Amino acid sequence: MSGPRLETDGLFLIKYGEIALKKRNRGTFVKSLKESIRAHLPDVPLAVHETFHRVFVGFRTKDKERIAEALGHTFGVVSFCEAVRVPREMPALEEAAIGLAERFLAEGRGARFKAEVRRADKSFPLTSYEIACRIGDVLSSRFPELIVDVHNPDWILSIEIRERAYLYGPQSPGLYGLPVGSSGKGVLLLSGGIDSPVAGWMMAKRGMALEAVYFHSPPFTSQGAREKVESLTRILRRYAPGTVLHVVNFTPVLARIKEKAKDEEVTLLLRACMMRFATLLAARRGGECLVTGESLGQVASQTVESIHFTGTLSELPVFRPLIGMNKEEIIAVAHKIETFETSNLPYDDCCVLFSPAHPLIHPEVNRMKSAYNCLSVESLLVEALEKSELVSV
Amino acid sequence: MSPVYLDWAASAPPEEAAIREAAEVSMRFFGNPSSPHGAGKEAAEILSQARRRFASLIGASPSEIVFTSGGTESNTSLLLSLLDRYRLGGAERRRARIVTTAVEHASIHDQALGLESLGMSCTVVKPGPNGIIDPQAVASALDHDTVLVSVMLVNNETGAIQRVAEISRLVAEFSGRKGRKVLVHTDAVQALGKVPVSVGSLGVDAASFSAHKVGGPRGIGALYLKSGVNPGLLSHGGGQEAGRRPGTENVPGACAFASAVEHRVSKLAESLSSTSLLMGRLISGIKEIRAARIFPESRTGVDWESFSPYILSAGFPPLTGEIVVRVSDENGFCIATGSACSTKKKDRTRVPESMGFDHQTALSALRVSIGPETTAAEIDGFLQMLKEKIPPLLSIFQGRGEPAGPSSRQAGAGP
Repeated sequence: MSGPRLETDGLFLIKYGEIALKKRNRGTFVKSLKESIRAHLPDVPLAVHETFHRVFVGFRTKDKERIAEALGHTFGVVSFCEAVRVPREMPALEEAAIGLAERFLAEGRGARFKAEVRRADKSFPLTSYEIACRIGDVLSSRFPELIVDVHNPDWILSIEIRERAYLYGPQSPGLYGLPVGSSGKGVLLLSGGIDSPVAGWMMAKRGMALEAVYFHSPPFTSQGAREKVESLTRILRRYAPGTVLHVVNFTPVLARIKEKAKDEEVTLLLRACMMRFATLLAARRGGECLVTGESLGQVASQTVESIHFTGTLSELPVFRPLIGMNKEEIIAVAHKIETFETSNLPYDDCCVLFSPAHPLIHPEVNRMKSAYNCLSVESLLVEALEKSELVSV
Repeated sequence: MSPVYLDWAASAPPEEAAIREAAEVSMRFFGNPSSPHGAGKEAAEILSQARRRFASLIGASPSEIVFTSGGTESNTSLLLSLLDRYRLGGAERRRARIVTTAVEHASIHDQALGLESLGMSCTVVKPGPNGIIDPQAVASALDHDTVLVSVMLVNNETGAIQRVAEISRLVAEFSGRKGRKVLVHTDAVQALGKVPVSVGSLGVDAASFSAHKVGGPRGIGALYLKSGVNPGLLSHGGGQEAGRRPGTENVPGACAFASAVEHRVSKLAESLSSTSLLMGRLISGIKEIRAARIFPESRTGVDWESFSPYILSAGFPPLTGEIVVRVSDENGFCIATGSACSTKKKDRTRVPESMGFDHQTALSALRVSIGPETTAAEIDGFLQMLKEKIPPLLSIFQGRGEPAGPSSRQAGAGP
């Protein structure tokens, strides 16, 4: 960050695992992680920098809670904790260790501890083992109740010797995965249901930035249904901060389908039009793929034949991260990411209202393709795209 | 343009005189009617005036009126009182049966089923296709264990007027033969101030009323308990309302309630004739629209013996009631789905389904309810809007309307 140097009085140390393995691309990924952290906290002044295998975030004490919350929702973070940074001198190290030990005791973390030392910089005069012994001795003599236990410690005091020395205690777990934005951008077909937000979350976990699209069909679907999707987008933004929502009025498309299609084909053709629309939207917004919440066989439009047909409407790759998951497994994730309660609010979507009594479950792809062509729906879709609304949620 | 309000059965627009009276009484007679000092005595006197005023409007004596928080409390407290009378433990509770109907408000229907889960018995009588309960069907449901019969006077969704006087007579005959008293209760919330209500001619032992359906404020209603009828007590407290409903009395509410009912009753004949004309106009107008259904179909628009001219249930299947309510709202008309009181989804179709309509048709039900101030221009505007908006929506729903082709394998799964 340019501008005057930020006065910070606190420091978070962030470990990232998987992305470090991507040797040649490490720089790109770390850059994305840093950008992702900043994107989570656009209005919080941060000093983000990186040394080998670690990202450090300097902050002002008053922002600590918010930053911890954000790091817990940032993909690519394996773990994070507050750290103390001191000059590479033993007296400074000892003093910092005493301070941390005092805090851990006060927090009731237990009496058994262990010091773990890494020397990234081998020019430091003492070896890792020597430093650990020394710190162990200092703490034991200062706090008689403390016991060194290298096998089964209550807490570990970590010390890393780099350009300076860093000390920290127990770490909070991160979400792993890849930083959002490092794996391109996808258009998420977001309904108000349980599945699609989970699908979006799973792709974001693998580093995908998202633009969601909601197909609104007033007056058949209510304002409440739309607000529910807006809430779901807000929840997704906790994980993928740049996520935006496009709302498109799909009633004219729905009317065309109902006018031209056989009843049994309505749902499939509606899905097909949604896929086509999402593809057009992706072209306009720089999306490289589509993301849907389909799970094999869950409903008639999610059989292998139905998915084959609806997939033909997009030349982009279509990711269906829930394809092999059971409903119970999907619900478990929805609970974990806190979309379930919102998804469970009782508003009908248009698919429910217009579902035929006997939908096709094993459609013939060629027959469906010609049924789709009979709709001559492309200009309607383009018109819908022109009128679609980018909602700030 | 302010929206046209056609949801009077949910809550009526406030009657200005009633609300003013509430404000004035709140300011002047703030004392606690139970207090022995001057301010308390004044408040007690005002309250007893309100009781007298209200009692005389329904042909009751003041001591027979218990002020409550509204229709739901009146209904549920009467039912719950049975728990006290028929104590747990013995065979007594198991043998206590409530006979009610499938078209009651949830505060009777669901509460009665709730008592069943607490050990009592419950028989739910179904209406005919016209939504009207056959008094003989109620009489046949009576058995040796029946302790209470509850049938609402005017249905809140369809406007059907139940033959409560006849039911009371049949129950009294049954009681006489068996030599044991069976109480008759009616939920008269949608009847008060709209059709003539006299507890004497209805022959009931208990009746429920609410103020905000007739222009009074929320939070006040009444339970009529015929002299000599002493249901068991469930709530205990300061002994207010002759020990029948503890809690410091809502004096301004009671006064406003009496004032609103006075106003409505004084204009009852006038508003019955104006609403009958409007309802007739509404029904015939709706029938001209494609796919229109009236619930019940047999309702003609002149059968005022059997249907309240204030309430209409209609629909345009397969459009759900929710869609029509939304479109109406967007175009400046406030109407309701089946019952505004129910936020529970499964309860929404109970009444039309009990009349024999299938679930999809029942889902189309919407309720239009009017009041003494509704005008012909408002009804015409509403009809005009429906005539414009409903057919295009129906066309979308109906599509090309062809049955499915024979060549594909199908199943009944969802989308």
